[in-house]
Amino acid sequence: MSLKRSKNKYATIVVFLVLALIFSVVLFSTIGTANIKISDTFKIIGSKLPLIGEKINIDGIPDSHKTIILKIRLPRVLLGVLVGASLSSAGVAFQGMFKNPMADPYVMGISSGAALGASLAIILGLRKTIFAISPISFFAFIGSRITVFSVYFISRVKNKVPVTNLLLSGVAIGQFLTAIMSFLMVIYSKDMEKIIFWTLGSLSGKGWEPLIRIAFPTILSIMILNFFSRDLNIILTGEESAKSLGVEVEKIKIYILILSSFMTAMVVSVSGIIGFVGLIIPHIVRLLVGPDHRILLPSAALVGGIFMIFADTIARTIISPVEIPVGIITAMFGGPFFIYLLRKKKKGI
Amino acid sequence: MVKAIKVQSLKFGYKDDLVLKDISFSLEEGQFMSIIGPNGSGKSTLLKNICNLEKPNSGEIEIHGKNISQYKSKELAKKIALVPQDTFISYDFSVFDVVLMGRFPYLGRFDKETDEDFEITKEALKITNTFHLRDRNINEISGGERQRVIIARALAQEPDIIFLDEPTSHLDINHQMDLLNILRNLNKEKNTTIVLVIHDINLACRYSDIIMLLDKGEILSIGSPKEVVTRENIEKAYGLNTIIEENPYTNSLYIVPLSLNGIVKKVDKKEKVHIISGGGTGREIISKLEEAGYDLSLGVINVGDSDWQLGKELSIKMVEEKPFSHISEEAFKKNIQFIREADIVVLGSTPYGRGNMKNLEAASLALNMGKTVYFLDNYSKDNKFDYTDGEAEKLLNEMKGKGLLIINSIDEIIKKA
Repeated sequence: MSLKRSKNKYATIVVFLVLALIFSVVLFSTIGTANIKISDTFKIIGSKLPLIGEKINIDGIPDSHKTIILKIRLPRVLLGVLVGASLSSAGVAFQGMFKNPMADPYVMGISSGAALGASLAIILGLRKTIFAISPISFFAFIGSRITVFSVYFISRVKNKVPVTNLLLSGVAIGQFLTAIMSFLMVIYSKDMEKIIFWTLGSLSGKGWEPLIRIAFPTILSIMILNFFSRDLNIILTGEESAKSLGVEVEKIKIYILILSSFMTAMVVSVSGIIGFVGLIIPHIVRLLVGPDHRILLPSAALVGGIFMIFADTIARTIISPVEIPVGIITAMFGGPFFIYLLRKKKKGI
Repeated sequence: MVKAIKVQSLKFGYKDDLVLKDISFSLEEGQFMSIIGPNGSGKSTLLKNICNLEKPNSGEIEIHGKNISQYKSKELAKKIALVPQDTFISYDFSVFDVVLMGRFPYLGRFDKETDEDFEITKEALKITNTFHLRDRNINEISGGERQRVIIARALAQEPDIIFLDEPTSHLDINHQMDLLNILRNLNKEKNTTIVLVIHDINLACRYSDIIMLLDKGEILSIGSPKEVVTRENIEKAYGLNTIIEENPYTNSLYIVPLSLNGIVKKVDKKEKVHIISGGGTGREIISKLEEAGYDLSLGVINVGDSDWQLGKELSIKMVEEKPFSHISEEAFKKNIQFIREADIVVLGSTPYGRGNMKNLEAASLALNMGKTVYFLDNYSKDNKFDYTDGEAEKLLNEMKGKGLLIINSIDEIIKKA
């Protein structure tokens, strides 16, 4: 009975967060140098939706506003939602699987691999798209995949992949690749600025193309990840317990590893390395809704999306027209807020 | 009938050294088995192998007649449940949620828990007296409570066999009893087979039908507590000198450690001591001198006397007499023989009557032989010890005149040595 009550509570939380996300998408699309009313934004976006679109009258709204919202702001905000949701979901999954509060989506060296790949593309001055993907994105994605596979195979002992091995070899490989990247930056110092900006992460000027490309695989990965909630809960109570309860721990670990690293690599290849979201959002949401992955995973995805577009809006407006890399903003806002929550709860992570 | 557990020539090692060397045994359904043995004997490892957490190097493990490698992991989790040694959970799940996790083997990936699952969870909470904790967080309750919650989770699996790895090791004595009582009730009422690794041999004897004694990865002995918990076995496995007796309150075996063999250096058995006592007056003398390493003999003593029992347990040479009988001439002579061989004679504070007067006479003879005779004087002024109309008292006084050494504590002899 107590659980049925909490199930209803879970549904309420998700519905509330979905509404908050929709509102945030509209709100953060509105905010900016062009003076657009929030009601207009609602109408512009609404007019493009199926079923209700035709009933909405947008005749009175200037065409420039429509263009700004639909061509520039909306894809940027939606990309931000995807990036935030993917990084937060992957962070939750890794923290659960590793049972380590320091784990984040980049723990397996994904970020270093992606950064090295991107650096190579930048240094080689590649311009031609590969499979209609920008070369930097493509190289970043390949770099992160290679890194994850190497880390996985290095960590493997017999048929098991001990999480400590994964963590340590992830750190080692990550440091190694970062060193190579730093070396390249010293040699090709003219590209240094571009590389640094890429590694700080940004959602600027991407348009609809990358969004459409990564939307389906990342959303699907996030959804599949949610079906492992119960397994993750049990793994949190100890791997041996989990095995004796019939959880196929080793298999689940591999599934989660593949899903999480895949969606992280996807978003990183488009947005660069946006730090802190995947570490802090899972903790904040866990402090708020508890450790049950059945509510933690969807909540973290939604809150991660909201937080990401909030940070991005600040990044592009705070000293407009100059844009700050959004990774700086996520860390600047996320850090203190997290410390505040930590002190308030005084329970540890 | 199909055995609940059947293990055949199981071998297992983490690296090159085998932790388990050729383990074979079987267990009937509805039994309560304790696995005992010194640290590093392979108890927990055996449990992990049977629960499919470790893969054996070779050998067969069957649960209900089916090899465990042929079970799907969820199928096996419906048959057996494990309560691990470390039950600490650092995440704040509610107690109810933790116990509900026990239903995992019954749920498909896309299933929701049904009312039946909630009912079974509630039942498990009630059986383990944790229902009142259901809304508390698992990391906010005490160790004993948490242990019971994890047992509740095991019950929610509705298993035929529950394995527990040292469930009592972190608990107070009252919580240990509480927990074992819960297990015994499960065993009796639901016919659940219980297998637990436990350090406390006395508790093991008290609750188990079967005890398995492991030593260095091998089964030293398996069977009823009486068959397994013997002086020889315990000395072999633990290197411990013990007394094993029946506890009159619980009717179970009770083990009292005396000394460590080989670890504490034994005094060379240079001196032979003959003890004359009876009716329990020799208990302290016998145990302390045995512990100090003297070569003991005892007599004359009636069969069934409490000193006789102790002597039996310690395998001391004794001059025996039929229960409640007068000391016969034959026994008396044999006693004198023993005294002749001994270096020291120790006389306990036994009450004397017609039946055992011959023992005091033997002590007196020992003095005459020139032996050192100690008399542990515990006679109190108020209590009568002489039931021979003054004869015993007279003889004792005579002996005091002849150089009987009076001591107040047996430690005086041991210190001198």
